[in-house]
Amino acid sequence: MKKEKEIVQSYMSGNISRRSMLRGLSSLGVSAAAASVMVNAAATRALAQNGFDWERHSGTSIKLLLNQHPYADAMIANLENFKELTGMDVTYDIFPEDVYFDKVTAALSSGSSEYDAFMTGAYMTWTYGPAGWIDDLNEYIGDPAKTNPDYNWEDMLEGVRRSCAWNGKPGGALGSADAKQWCIPWGYEQNNLTYNGRMFDEAGLNVPTNIDELAATAAEANAKIEGAYGIGVRGSRSWATIHPGFLSGYANFGEKDLNISNDGKLSAAMNTDTSRAFHEKWVKMIQESGAPDWSTHTWYQAGTDLGAGKSAMIFDADILGYFMNGGDNAEAGNLRFSPFAANPAAAAPTPNIWIWSLAMATAGKQKDATWHFLQWASGPEHGLFGATEMDFVNPVRKSVWADASFRERIDTSYPGYVDMHDVSAPGAKIQFTAQPLFFDLTTEWAATLQQMVANEVPVDEGLGQLEASINRQLKEAGLG
Amino acid sequence: MQQKSTLEQILRGVALACVIFFFMFPIFWILLMSFQTNETILRVPPSMVFEPTLTNYRSLISGTLEGSTATLEIKFMGNLWNSLFLSVTSVTVGLILGVPAAYAFAKLKFRGSEDIAFTLLSFRFAPPLLVLLPLTIYFQQLGLADTYFGLIWVYQLIVLPLILWIVRGYFEDIPSDIEYAYRIAGHGFWTTFRKIALPLAGPGIAAAGLLAFIFAWNNFIFALVLASADKQPVTVGALAFITAAGINYGQIAAGIMLSIAPTFALALYAQRYLVEGLSLGAVKG
Repeated sequence: MKKEKEIVQSYMSGNISRRSMLRGLSSLGVSAAAASVMVNAAATRALAQNGFDWERHSGTSIKLLLNQHPYADAMIANLENFKELTGMDVTYDIFPEDVYFDKVTAALSSGSSEYDAFMTGAYMTWTYGPAGWIDDLNEYIGDPAKTNPDYNWEDMLEGVRRSCAWNGKPGGALGSADAKQWCIPWGYEQNNLTYNGRMFDEAGLNVPTNIDELAATAAEANAKIEGAYGIGVRGSRSWATIHPGFLSGYANFGEKDLNISNDGKLSAAMNTDTSRAFHEKWVKMIQESGAPDWSTHTWYQAGTDLGAGKSAMIFDADILGYFMNGGDNAEAGNLRFSPFAANPAAAAPTPNIWIWSLAMATAGKQKDATWHFLQWASGPEHGLFGATEMDFVNPVRKSVWADASFRERIDTSYPGYVDMHDVSAPGAKIQFTAQPLFFDLTTEWAATLQQMVANEVPVDEGLGQLEASINRQLKEAGLG
Repeated sequence: MQQKSTLEQILRGVALACVIFFFMFPIFWILLMSFQTNETILRVPPSMVFEPTLTNYRSLISGTLEGSTATLEIKFMGNLWNSLFLSVTSVTVGLILGVPAAYAFAKLKFRGSEDIAFTLLSFRFAPPLLVLLPLTIYFQQLGLADTYFGLIWVYQLIVLPLILWIVRGYFEDIPSDIEYAYRIAGHGFWTTFRKIALPLAGPGIAAAGLLAFIFAWNNFIFALVLASADKQPVTVGALAFITAAGINYGQIAAGIMLSIAPTFALALYAQRYLVEGLSLGAVKG
């Protein structure tokens, strides 16, 4: 073991390259995965050298509530290093995503102190924060006595960091000066194009660069490719239908979900000419080239069809395409990635984002110890380990995106992914208005979209009805 | 007895085959899926010709799932054991409490008996989530949260009303004269209950127990809310195969086959009690 440690130490000191280190360890019978954990152990030991007292909570045990996800897998793979660094014990419960948020809501709303920290989406904190279920993490981030000096909060991508902060006022801008940091970004996904390169080459298709080209390419793919439909986008009656491709394209035209008046009142903003035109194009695209059972499509169906070669492309989460390009998917290795700006006049894409984050339960009894874990799990060392050795993608830290080994790994196996990220990251943020009726109103938007696609209601009439209904609900809730 | 014509026999056979095909085909298809990889399951058009693999069952039994991007640890067999333990124990407790109670409601007329019986039945009407959130708070205060004991207690909300109402109807059908005759012969109340009422109500009790077992086995929400991951039943554990990185259809199919096996075996074994018990309990003489 001494020899292995020496090799890793040489790499850490910059005396040998990563490739030489891996070769050296391999000759000693150490697998690549084990080598990565050893490298991270060395990086973690280095953390202890910066004067921060990592062992302050030694002997303490905290419990996490985790969603079954590659991000959680990456953390678990590296967890022993944290335990060694801090002397703390960490236990966790993992639940499948289908039931995960029910479990979180039940635990938080009952005031349970069982879980100290948990995974959440940023949208969910719009409910959890004002309810008093989670802590504002600004008080920890800004406290040098509690936060490791190398934590480097500013290293987090700005749009992502700000998207996890809200002042709790309906319509309040995310990341405003008075915003509370309800959660720490952990990993995130932008919405862009993932297309089947093999199919595109065989059918002679070009990668679309705006909404009109997207619809035309999808129609062409639909006509030319046997056994596959043109484009996969989500369609179930859920808020999750609106937030990926649809809102990313919609926001690219400068459109919003809600207006905010000077006195802070909210009203529906989707019944405009530009919005109507976008809705019409979107609806027509699905009718002509979408999945036959589009109205049932969630993340899973959109991804599975792409991976199985049943669709030519998706306008959805980039990491969905990332996952489908591996494993035992029939089209693994054939998928390519491209940034997508729906508006031909837009300078760059403006993807709406989903952020898997970490939050601290207010009912937890060991806040400082929990913060020790949170800052380690969202720190640069673990971020780099997860991104280079596991599927902790997309990382939320600029330093990880700048890392050559990470970029090389992604570029090699996922053509276009790094460029896509670099082009769209500056405009990537949560494009929704933060307010407590988010899930209700967005689900209704999806239901209206379903009616439009089914020709049950014309687009202009549907938008009018949606506007009226949203305004009524906002008024009833005292928000409009 | 009237002789059936050959044509009628053929038509009956065809009709029977159609019905069996209609009901059994989904199970058969899932069985086939359980021996395939995702790649062959998702091919277009679907085919029944494939190279069978035991990978899915191996993953479930060994507890490691080869995902599309990484190897995941899964606890499906633990979930299966939890389901078995929770269902068997809950039904046993439900029978111990419910059968004497059903007898009392059927045979002993006392003030408020109907009210109490309907109150117990009303447990079945309440939406579980409505009950569970306040219950979570009480359970935490009582130290019952995340314990098998607490879960078995809550499972009584499912099994007890079912057992009580089915078995009660059955006890009511037993002529009281038989019990009186036995009592006149010098036997006590409990002996009469044990020696006369219980054996006569046997099929009904078996049917109620079986139905209660199936309801308990299929429950999803109680353990999800009240217990941590190591006490989750198979209904929650099965969702582990739907991951952000894709749906593992093969493992889902293998999981379904393994999880229906206990109820399927029990139902096959006890089906004559089930039919007999339910039909007799339902018919008034």
